Amino acid sequence: MSAETTSLSARTDRRRALISLTPLIDVVFILLVFFMLASSFLDWRAIDLSPPVKAGGGAPLEGSLLIDIRVDTLGLAGEVMNLEALAARVGGLTAGKPDRPVILRPAADVSLQRTVEVLDRLKATGVTGMSLIRGRDSL
Amino acid sequence: MNRLAARRRARQSGDDSVLPLINVVFLLLIFFMLAGRLASGDPFEIAPPKSLTDGDPRAQEMLVLLSGDGRIAVDGEVVEREALAGVLKTASAAQVRLKADGGVNAVEVVALMELLRDAGVESLDLLTLPAAR
Repeated sequence: MSAETTSLSARTDRRRALISLTPLIDVVFILLVFFMLASSFLDWRAIDLSPPVKAGGGAPLEGSLLIDIRVDTLGLAGEVMNLEALAARVGGLTAGKPDRPVILRPAADVSLQRTVEVLDRLKATGVTGMSLIRGRDSL
Repeated sequence: MNRLAARRRARQSGDDSVLPLINVVFLLLIFFMLAGRLASGDPFEIAPPKSLTDGDPRAQEMLVLLSGDGRIAVDGEVVEREALAGVLKTASAAQVRLKADGGVNAVEVVALMELLRDAGVESLDLLTLPAAR
């Protein structure tokens, strides 16, 4: 009985001597620091856009909606309105025709953030085929 | 003799108290390996636009960056404006992710999109970050 216990403790002693804990901890810490520094938790989202249509390219633009984005107002077919009214109007016009193209034309001093807000709101109403163009004056 | 035994016990108990530490470190390691995504750093800082959209970016062929001061990078390499058309032509990607600064003029982004269209791009994803609630 006592011989058995001594041989058992000898075996565990040998195992403990074989894999020393300190280098293992070193390696694990290095891996941990690497993954902490190299990984990113940014949650990227994407807005799907079509490339801008070519001016005078002959592509039929009939039936597409043209929305003017200005710094504090929006325009649809020459009518000035705010974002909520525009979303309701566009939602009504594209109801049943979800792939009806919607073209947004930001004015020269509009930031991308403002454009993205409009894109967001229109996407929430179910518009899918959105693209951006720029006006002739901002070339 | 008695002191020797006490020291050995102390060393053993020190060894044992390392084990929970290793457990925690392993857990952290596995968490960071699984939860984080390895991201290649961008060549310049970009503050992307905030949006409420929930579209997941698709895996796409090319990543184009446009910084707030007008610098452009394609797939992590800064490209001069004059050389851009050539670089885009040789890359000839049909799907592109576009990461642009939220403060940049929208007209500049559209100009970049026109260049991409001329290079044969058929669809592009505008990358955004979710707005903080």
